[in-house]
Amino acid sequence: MHRNARSDARGSALQGRVWAGVVAIGIALAVTIVLLIVGSATPGTALRAFFITPITNRYYVGNMLNSMSSLLIAGLGIVVAFRAGLYNLGGEGQIYVSALVGTVAGLGAAGAPGPLGALIVIVAAIATGAVLAGISGALRHYFRSPELITSFLLSAALIPVADYLITGPFNDPERNLLATRTLPESFWLPRLLGPSELNLALIVALVLAVVVYLLLFRTVFGYELRLFGLNNEFARYSGINAGAHTVGALALSGGLHGLTGGLMVLGTYHAAISGFTGGLGWNAIAVALIARLHPLAAIASALVFSYLEAGAKASVLHTEFTFELGTIIQAIIFFFVTATIVIGRRGRER
Amino acid sequence: MIGNALQLAIPLILAGLGGLLTERAGVLNIGLEGMILVGAFGGIVGANATGSLLVGFLVGAGFGLTLGAIFSLACIELRANIFIAGLATNLLAVGAVPYLSELVYGTKGVVRLNDARQLPELLGIDVTLYVALLAAVIVWALIYHTPFGLRLRAAGDNPPALEARGVSPARYRRAAMLLSGLLAGTAGAEIAIQLGVYLPNVSAGRGWIALVAVFLGYRHPVGVVIAAVVFALFEVLAGSAQGFLDIPGTVLLGFPYLVTVIAMVVYSALRRRHV
Repeated sequence: MHRNARSDARGSALQGRVWAGVVAIGIALAVTIVLLIVGSATPGTALRAFFITPITNRYYVGNMLNSMSSLLIAGLGIVVAFRAGLYNLGGEGQIYVSALVGTVAGLGAAGAPGPLGALIVIVAAIATGAVLAGISGALRHYFRSPELITSFLLSAALIPVADYLITGPFNDPERNLLATRTLPESFWLPRLLGPSELNLALIVALVLAVVVYLLLFRTVFGYELRLFGLNNEFARYSGINAGAHTVGALALSGGLHGLTGGLMVLGTYHAAISGFTGGLGWNAIAVALIARLHPLAAIASALVFSYLEAGAKASVLHTEFTFELGTIIQAIIFFFVTATIVIGRRGRER
Repeated sequence: MIGNALQLAIPLILAGLGGLLTERAGVLNIGLEGMILVGAFGGIVGANATGSLLVGFLVGAGFGLTLGAIFSLACIELRANIFIAGLATNLLAVGAVPYLSELVYGTKGVVRLNDARQLPELLGIDVTLYVALLAAVIVWALIYHTPFGLRLRAAGDNPPALEARGVSPARYRRAAMLLSGLLAGTAGAEIAIQLGVYLPNVSAGRGWIALVAVFLGYRHPVGVVIAAVVFALFEVLAGSAQGFLDIPGTVLLGFPYLVTVIAMVVYSALRRRHV
């Protein structure tokens, strides 16, 4: 479609920039400090809240690690898609809708024994995410519809539907909350750290990072997928099945997003709550890009990102007014994370 | 009904023309949505500060242009990935507008036009429609009948040829991104001024619709105008369908995206058959 945009877009362009992620985070921190100083009557307190609060006690640390697990799994979903040269921009909707479908399936199987019930929630969530993203893969393969547009639009079309289902037909009339009914307690994942929300999902996330690493770098499927991402045409000439990789990589990506949603329900919220996954899909893209699409590096970048996120939340409480500091940090990271800063070589403009 | 559709088509035409310019220069501009959003905020800021709707439009266009400049800075000077920079553009709009709004108005939510006035009308439709159509003619003339347009198209279709002649495609891409921001910002100002209010998420997916209108319009200004009107017609139909089909209002928020994705797929499928 776009010879240039497309060739830029292939996975290769997103991988090679070692320092870009660090620079991006550095610039985001600098801007954050400025915004907090301008926006707060007590800048010292706000800055302290940003940097220190997330690591002051078990509760905060546990919650930070808990949001890290969601970021990591969804981030791995992005790694898989981007490595295949495919842009899955529908993460938001895939996580949210999968969480809802998983919850509804779990509520339907409320009589099941705990582990089985949890499995039902997870499988339903993974399947939903895989189908949603897989559709964009199929549309890309059969009709050449750009997956970055269709995945975003499908997700954007479904989010309001999920909002409606959560606040309408599936709403829990007993609770004064825009949420579905709560899953049976026997389904819940065990908590790991005291009063915080940290749960088994963290272990799942860490194991998955290793699994995705092995899949990408130690299997034929992973090799072909990366080859496909680096050079579409070459991969096709080498006899790689483009359809299987387009649909497969996106379905896998969506499945990981679905799993993220399912685990958030089982481990943290125990129900689907209106808008509860907001922003996670975009953050996952940031995590994957900071990690330069490397599954093991994603562990570190998810940790850093969850720290920034927790800091942003804590610090805006100490500003004169509330604002979306998290979104601004996100935007800055996106602007710089794929940038190539070439000092004194401006002549090489394309 | 046609009148309503034409009214709703105005911002789609303006933003679509912006998307067309970048598209022809070889840049898929997914930042249109954010540019519309800052334009909408700028429209209200300008109009409230001066009491002039015209100034509102200019400030909205200026806000869009600024975001377009940031986008081009990232894409060209920093050589960031175009799609990721486009996402950043949208996120920056979502994050920066509430911040600015708090600083200026002390609220991050709804900002009303101080004295709500109607835009002047011509033949029963806001005069902005004619401005948008004029913009389409100008964009058409620019793309097809100027050396600038020729090079801009070459930057999209065949950049090596352009480079071989010692012309940098990046210059034309940058110009397209700036113009794109200007047009999308104007589109945003039109939305907010017409409504008489800035609301969070007032762009409501119009940037994406405009982007798809570029493809459906076969990357030609006339096509973009037609596609924009067709999308607007669907929006009107959806609005009236809500009445008798009893579709919940929340679900309807997703409708424009659904229509857009279907349109995108139909377009790709048809195009594939031709090739």
